[in-house]
Amino acid sequence: MSLSSPLRQVLGTGPAHSGVHHWWVQRLTSIALVPLSVWFVVSLWCLPGLDHATVTAWLRQSWTALLMILFVLTAAWHSNLGLQVIIEDYVHGAGSRTLLLVLVRFLNVLVAAAAAFAVLKVAFGSAA
Amino acid sequence: MAEFRLPPNSRIVGGITHPKPAGAAETRTVRIYRFNPDSGENPRLDTFTLELKSCGPMVLDALIQLKAAVDSSLTFRRSCREGICGSCAMNINGVNRLACTTALSDLKGEIRIYPLPHMPVIKDLVPDLTTFYAQYAAVKPWLQSSTPPPPDKERLQSKEEQEKIDRPAACILCACCSTACPSYWWNSDKYLGPAALMAAYRWIIDSRDEATGERLDALEDPYRLYRCHTIMNCTDACPKDLNPARAIAEIKKMMLERQS
Repeated sequence: MSLSSPLRQVLGTGPAHSGVHHWWVQRLTSIALVPLSVWFVVSLWCLPGLDHATVTAWLRQSWTALLMILFVLTAAWHSNLGLQVIIEDYVHGAGSRTLLLVLVRFLNVLVAAAAAFAVLKVAFGSAA
Repeated sequence: MAEFRLPPNSRIVGGITHPKPAGAAETRTVRIYRFNPDSGENPRLDTFTLELKSCGPMVLDALIQLKAAVDSSLTFRRSCREGICGSCAMNINGVNRLACTTALSDLKGEIRIYPLPHMPVIKDLVPDLTTFYAQYAAVKPWLQSSTPPPPDKERLQSKEEQEKIDRPAACILCACCSTACPSYWWNSDKYLGPAALMAAYRWIIDSRDEATGERLDALEDPYRLYRCHTIMNCTDACPKDLNPARAIAEIKKMMLERQS
């Protein structure tokens, strides 16, 4: 129960003066993911086989490794931005929202770093 | 969390079935949401049989007829009966629309009438629009200009400048759009909603207004503006065929363009 005016409740703590950047980067990453994911699926499709030797040989090529790193970093970035929107939409408790946002960000950074590291390890590692 | 189920005291239980009028030839079944805050009971869905012969063509005519002939406690807002006041906005067969411009003949089968979704209900089909109006007030829907008006005439606009605001300014604030928006359902405490945002847009693009920057500043917020995820329920719902989704998209474009 609050006796403050409806206008005060709507105005709240005022505009955050942010949101444009988030919105724009979410669109940019989604545009970038179109050719990257098409490339990823088509390249795997075109491989003669999906056994360990074939895939690591494919991943060791410079262009493949480069595009693969771009793909996983962009996907993780986009996933972080998208999950942030979903959490802001549906999780209303200030504490649980902040906690979830932090967890999602940590998780996405971890996934991005691990994936990029894995690609580099394969690309620069000695032939198995 | 967002509310996916109504609170226990808002869930619809049972309902009264009013007897079919004697000697009625052509009839339609109308089921109407009823809630009386004084009774302490949950809302219910009452079943009415509408006699078509003595009823006008619109859903509003049906409501007026049922109130006069069957149950005088049936409560709803109405005024102009020609789609310009926005009072009789309600959810008819699952779609937010104006009762006065919705023809009974356009509705198939049983007619189901509920108040606008996800708003506090004052009584029956009357929602509490206090927050909705406060959101409209929050975008300062009036001309802001430090240049004084010419002493001998009004502030002029070119024909093209007027055409830009012509459609957005035709909004009747019926709330069909905002209450059709899931983002508004979950976050109406912080998200301004399509109606208020289109009102903001109407003043942002007004060639006579000088507070464009301040208006954009006031909207630059993850919740106030960016809760819109462009699902366009608002444009779909608008009984005046306006396009709030486009107005919001234009605001987002302006936000970006002033930065880059």
